[in-house]
Amino acid sequence: MAGLFTADIENRGLVLDPRTKLAVMITLVVFALGGAGSDIQAVRLATIAVSALPVVLLATARQWKKAAVFGLLYAVLKSAELLLVPQLSGAALSIVGLCCLIFVRLMPSLIMGAYMLSSTTVSEFIAAMHRMHVPQQITIPMSVMFRFFPTVMEEFAAINTAMRMRDIRMGGRNAGRLIEYRLVPLMVCSVNIGSELSAAALTRGLSTGIRRTNICKIGFHVQDFAVAAVSGAVYILWILGMTGVVK
Amino acid sequence: MKGKDLINIGIFSAIYFVIVFVIAILGMIPVFLPLLVPIFGGIPFMLFLTRVRKFGMIWIMSIIMGIMMLLTGMSWPPLAVSVFSGLLAELVYRSGKYKSATKAVVTNGVFSLWVAANYLPLFFNAEKYWASRQNYGQDYIDAVTKLMPSWMCPVTFIAAFVCGIIGGLLGKALMKKHFEKAGIA
Repeated sequence: MAGLFTADIENRGLVLDPRTKLAVMITLVVFALGGAGSDIQAVRLATIAVSALPVVLLATARQWKKAAVFGLLYAVLKSAELLLVPQLSGAALSIVGLCCLIFVRLMPSLIMGAYMLSSTTVSEFIAAMHRMHVPQQITIPMSVMFRFFPTVMEEFAAINTAMRMRDIRMGGRNAGRLIEYRLVPLMVCSVNIGSELSAAALTRGLSTGIRRTNICKIGFHVQDFAVAAVSGAVYILWILGMTGVVK
Repeated sequence: MKGKDLINIGIFSAIYFVIVFVIAILGMIPVFLPLLVPIFGGIPFMLFLTRVRKFGMIWIMSIIMGIMMLLTGMSWPPLAVSVFSGLLAELVYRSGKYKSATKAVVTNGVFSLWVAANYLPLFFNAEKYWASRQNYGQDYIDAVTKLMPSWMCPVTFIAAFVCGIIGGLLGKALMKKHFEKAGIA
């Protein structure tokens, strides 16, 4: 959670443009999760290829451990869906089948989300949003939000420790007040930190309403075109499938 | 809308999203998401509403939640729904001149609709999806459609709305108990 958009700039291997990552994400959402074109054999096979893309991308970003764990998990689930489910019947079929159905469809986009958040910096993301002409009314709150996540988590951890000392925890004597005694202090201190933050932001000219500059250089390179070609291929197959050229 | 308003949106979005994230991780069974998020999210949201004085603040927060769902891989329907439900929530709260406490509770209910949209993709293209899995046998198709019937889809939205009302009332009660005393509501 605290690791949202906190890429290690020194050691992150191949760098993709945030917009490319967003395009891959949308492709995964449409085909892997949304199941578009799943009545066409070629699109089904291409969807499996695109679903493997986030794992490959994690590997190119030198996040070997994540890539291995997610890759293995997805391979096991997908092969279970393809090989094990048709053999089952009755209650086992319902349970295993439903689990496979949900996880196989959700996992590719969730892995892509993990890659996206751990390989992009906040500045890069904001720069990409500017290039996509997202209005300031959206980009400013979002940059504040990403700046604020680590603070919220830090405060929450401290409040959590204090409340555990007072035995306000799961299974403790005062479990009923579990939520109230955590959220209320969290909000009180967040509001205070927030007013300090807005004072700091105002001194940096946040409310002037002019176009802000960004030091981050983003742009499309060879790797972006390669990734875009893979995800673009699925759309082409889908169109070809609908017109009846491929099956 | 000034810089300070935009910063407020960012801060409360951060708190709200942390709650969504914690519930998503703790709730191993994802069915609880549309029930728990509106209830616990109602607490910071009601405090956020006391800071809303200008048109668009609720709408922007709603859109940001949708964008965050897209970024974390929960797909695009939450974004599509949040753009409309956010505007609707904004209009509801606006009809109470950004003051009415009762309207604030309803606003939380309407705002919470995007949470239920997380499950929309599982209902989309269902027939095509099943058609491609004919080789699994009719048993499998029957079993899964029995567990995920299409009437579940509107039910999740209604559940999110009702829980949003509960969360709004909870938030209102906590505001009275703590924040008004502390002078930050």
